[in-house]
Amino acid sequence: MRVYVLRRVLYSLFILFLVSILIFALGRVLPGDPVQAVLAASRMGPVDSEVIRDLKTQFGLDRPLVMQYVIWVAGFVRGDWGVSIATGESVRAMFMHRLPITLELFLGSVLWSCIIGLPCGIASALKRNSWLDLTCTTGAIMGVSIPVFWEGIVLIYLFSVLVHVFPPSGYVPFAEDPLGNLMSVAMPTFIMGTQGAGLLSRFVRSSLLEVLGQDFIRTARAKGLREKAVILTHAMRPAMIPVVTITGLAWGYVVAGSFIVEYMFAIPGLGRMGVNAIFCNDFPVIQATLIMVALNILAVNLAVDLLYGALDPRVRVHR
Amino acid sequence: MRSPSGAWGTLLRHRIALAGMVLIGALVCMAAFAPLLAPCDPNEQDLYHVLEGPSKSHLLGTDDVGRDLLSRVIYGSRVTLAMGAASTIFSATIGVLLGLVAGYKGGVWDMAIMRLTDTFMCMPALVMALAIVAALGPGVTSVVISITVLAWTGFARIVRGQVMLVRELAYVEAARALGASGLRIMFRHLLPNVTAPIIVTVTLALGGNIMLESTVSFLGIGVQPPTPSWGSELRVGYSYLEVAPLFSIAPGLMITLAVLAFNFLGDGLRDALDPRLRAEGPGPG
Repeated sequence: MRVYVLRRVLYSLFILFLVSILIFALGRVLPGDPVQAVLAASRMGPVDSEVIRDLKTQFGLDRPLVMQYVIWVAGFVRGDWGVSIATGESVRAMFMHRLPITLELFLGSVLWSCIIGLPCGIASALKRNSWLDLTCTTGAIMGVSIPVFWEGIVLIYLFSVLVHVFPPSGYVPFAEDPLGNLMSVAMPTFIMGTQGAGLLSRFVRSSLLEVLGQDFIRTARAKGLREKAVILTHAMRPAMIPVVTITGLAWGYVVAGSFIVEYMFAIPGLGRMGVNAIFCNDFPVIQATLIMVALNILAVNLAVDLLYGALDPRVRVHR
Repeated sequence: MRSPSGAWGTLLRHRIALAGMVLIGALVCMAAFAPLLAPCDPNEQDLYHVLEGPSKSHLLGTDDVGRDLLSRVIYGSRVTLAMGAASTIFSATIGVLLGLVAGYKGGVWDMAIMRLTDTFMCMPALVMALAIVAALGPGVTSVVISITVLAWTGFARIVRGQVMLVRELAYVEAARALGASGLRIMFRHLLPNVTAPIIVTVTLALGGNIMLESTVSFLGIGVQPPTPSWGSELRVGYSYLEVAPLFSIAPGLMITLAVLAFNFLGDGLRDALDPRLRAEGPGPG
């Protein structure tokens, strides 16, 4: 087991290294290098080459590429994520400031996913190949197929324009006004949640169908347990293991998924920060966003691998 | 391998897949016959009639510069479907080639290609797509390039896995014993036997790529006006949601239908082509 853990951790670090090179390379390809951005922001007239050279030295752009990469990585590891070109704020402070908001959206969307996805998945598995199953399966595909922005537009039209139930945009901090906070995140989390619900219900369905075919379920039925007890206490628990993993894996993609929702609803979270950074070529922020999302996905994948390795010895032998 | 009629039969009995096929057929016809179907010129402005609701002359109303919305939605299918198809063809080609090489050659080739795949897979697709489009400058070509760069990984993974399953089979060994070259084995013997998962992945990728294209265009750095694409249409329409809801809801509905159609079909194809999931047992052959 120790060898397995070590191998997985080293492998993840190696992929992280490749990811960082990719992101660093992207920074060299993107237009608007920091020098030009600073000059544009300061609105100075034409400047001589002296100033440009000074600025290049300041950003370390006059050094060889390998050195620039090493300096950047070292800084990132120490917590120096650079300074936003657009606002002049520390990128790390910006990130930490917005993290709780995106986290709230994530928790809300998981809640919606479970409320919608779990009953649908269980119902389809228990009434396999019935009209109910067909409805739920079709609904699940629809959940993952409807573009976030279109679902957003339709919901905003229905609940903010036609009937004024929810605010069309904006975010109210929970500490200021708890009810206002819940109202402001209700639609965004619902939209993210329906996407997750589609995936969740499909996984619950297939996982539960597999468990229901096992011997211990037959035993439970044979000893005269009521169907409700068989499903709830015997079948659900093992069926939930892969489901929990999926929920975990979803977090890695949530920051990416929150881009559109936060942009549409003007919620000042990580996604909106990333979109704005792309609009104004604020590369330090784009870089930090990409790295953090990739780190997240890698960390969760690693955790899942280790968990599976601990639960199932066969995984440790095969790669 | 089962005979195609077996898979066809399953597919036709699969109600969801059938719905997907009908929808795709309708969308392709719409794109192909756009000039015949569209009631007006999609770029003809009429500044006396802007943001109007549905009427007899404009079934879906007009946009912010008085262009006929229905015609723009019909013409939009051309750009959106063409971009989805182009990026899928390019990414499938790259992914299948890399997957073939990784699966057949193994060793260092497999190591290098799979590490590259893993690296791209843990990058968030939307953020990367936005960054690449921003780097290349907005426009149809940059969107297709950015999607291609991101979408090949799925193909590489699936083809590699399938090739590893079939490469040890007797007929491949026989071909090798007869002196067939590596290239010949890869393209003549391995590729035809891994087509089923490729077809499924292509179908699902089409839906995913259309979604990604629309999202990038919705954020305003994809397809640029006046070219009608559903995503860019939706972007402009969104700012007039209160006065002209159809302006954004109609193109959005088309995107949803297109993505849904490919996902429905992909789902059905998976059931039809994957013998393990088929309910009625193995077919003839």
